[in-house]
Amino acid sequence: MERDVVIEVKNLKKTYKKRKGNEIIYALNGVNFNVYRGEILGLLGPNGAGKTTTIKSICGLIKPNGGAVLINEIDSNKSRLKALNYLSAVLEGNRNLYWRLTVRENLEYFVGNRGVNRKNEQGRVEELLLYFNLKEKENELVSSLSRGMQQKLAIAVALSANTEIILLDEPTLGLDVETGYEVRELLKRLVKEHGKTIIISTHDMPVVQDLCERTVIINNGKVIADEQVDNLIAFFDTRAYIFTLGEELTSQQRISLTENYPMCNINFNEIEVIIEKENDLYKIMDILKSEKTVIEKIDRSIVDIEQIFLKLTKEGSKE
Amino acid sequence: MKPFWFLLCANVRKEYIELKRYYPNTLSLIFTFYIVFLAMLLGIHVIGDPQQVDTNVQYVIVNYIIWFFMLATLQNLGYVILMEAQRGTLEQLFMSPAGMWRILLARLIAGLFLYGIIVVFLLILSMLTANQWLFFRVDVVMPIFIITTIGMIGVGFMLAGLAIIVKQIQSFLQILQFILMGLTFIPLSTAPFLLIAPFVKGVDMIRQVMIHGFIWSDFLLFDYLSLMINSISYFFIGLIIYFKCEKTALERGLLSQY
Ligand SMILES: Nc1ncnc2c1ncn2[C@@H]1O[C@H](COP(=O)(O)OP(=O)(O)OP(=O)(O)O)[C@@H](O)[C@H]1O
Ligand SMILES: [Mg+2]
Repeated sequence: MERDVVIEVKNLKKTYKKRKGNEIIYALNGVNFNVYRGEILGLLGPNGAGKTTTIKSICGLIKPNGGAVLINEIDSNKSRLKALNYLSAVLEGNRNLYWRLTVRENLEYFVGNRGVNRKNEQGRVEELLLYFNLKEKENELVSSLSRGMQQKLAIAVALSANTEIILLDEPTLGLDVETGYEVRELLKRLVKEHGKTIIISTHDMPVVQDLCERTVIINNGKVIADEQVDNLIAFFDTRAYIFTLGEELTSQQRISLTENYPMCNINFNEIEVIIEKENDLYKIMDILKSEKTVIEKIDRSIVDIEQIFLKLTKEGSKE
Repeated sequence: MKPFWFLLCANVRKEYIELKRYYPNTLSLIFTFYIVFLAMLLGIHVIGDPQQVDTNVQYVIVNYIIWFFMLATLQNLGYVILMEAQRGTLEQLFMSPAGMWRILLARLIAGLFLYGIIVVFLLILSMLTANQWLFFRVDVVMPIFIITTIGMIGVGFMLAGLAIIVKQIQSFLQILQFILMGLTFIPLSTAPFLLIAPFVKGVDMIRQVMIHGFIWSDFLLFDYLSLMINSISYFFIGLIIYFKCEKTALERGLLSQY
């Protein structure tokens, strides 16, 4: 089935000049991916990979040096304001709200600032306050809210714009476990009930596993994986093994293992490794046999998205 | 047009809420204004030419009020942008499909409107204190005043643009009060070249009306023309500079405090 492309990121490039000196930072080196209508896309990557730069380019907050972002076929650079009609975002950190205004005033101000009559949107505002459990707090200043509550309000503000696409840059960052869970549940509910197209950038793997259907992994300003989460797990599932040994490895074996398989985990008499090809399995056995190490058993290990992520990004930075 | 009206309402409302909620700041602004005014009055009585006291006091009232009004609106705009860049709300504003320049325009008008109300109150208070009653022909002053503010809005756009890309704008905002003082206190007759500076022509005409009782027919066509050309030029120059700054900010990723 042909799916509707809502966002097309085409060969996006962005360089920054460092404030001091003339050093140039290559934040994005030709990023390509599509976002389809109604899907939830996880944008992953280690610190400094270029996630925020990608999100801000989509939002028209950064002008790329090359490539383009098309939002419903509108170039977000050439027709910035037109493209913005389809977008709203919660950007990094707790910095999306007016701390000197109350919860309700924030919602109403942002609605007004899009050139919309706030009186016509009363119903929406009311609905969002209830939906996010903020009704009791509606007249409190944002500065007095907890971090989790602020984050919920920021998401509510993004929803108040009633746009087709919502971008969330690390929505659970800096929240404690409980609040992080709450925000995650909320996003889950949102996705089910509202059918929006959502892009989430995150380091929070449970968010990816719970919410995202597809993930784009960025490293050093390049896309290194673009897959359905399920496929990715299935793909790696067949390739993760645990070797249980009768004795400890010699230091020679350790070295050759970690050199060839940087992602292997060596624990006393247990080796956990994700291999690329069937052939690798025999190579590892060869390394073990070279010192006549007793292999007690070989098991399939269960992988999660976090391990896959680590493996992919480690490989990327090896190049 | 309609979307702009909602933009305007939202921004007047926000500005009003903040002035009211942080009323100690607002009151201290008014209080400082008044104390400085009293000091100036005292100065005129003590060291000024006794023959000239009345005219001098009238000059001070008009100049000082206009200076205060411009400073309050322009400095406020600059500081607000700086604060929003630090807080991160600036990026949210830039994501409005209405366009940041329209939001800024709405904010400038909101500021002019609300500070205008405060200034009228201060004008009456000053006149009461000094017991000097100026000519206040609304029908003559208002049109001149409105055309003058069009130029002010242009200057506001320049400041906003600079505040977005130059993070050290703070010290400039401090100096701004002296620049504005020069522009509002120096009469055109002593420095005719100031005709090309922003607001000076308008302020000069307002002085003529309020102190010397000029009416429509007392001005020359040249006065009206130069006032309009000056204001409209500054409005467009301001907008152009703002758009240039906006472009730079998007290219270098300057919207968040990086
Ligand atoms: N405005 C800027 N000026 C200069 N360099 C920048 C700017 N914004 C980002 N960078 C650099 O560009 C690179 C990519 O940054 P980006 O913020 O997109 O990464 P990220 O994937 O969001 O990382 P994180 O997980 O830490 O949020 C980094 O090396 C960063 O230092
Ligand atoms: Mg980031």
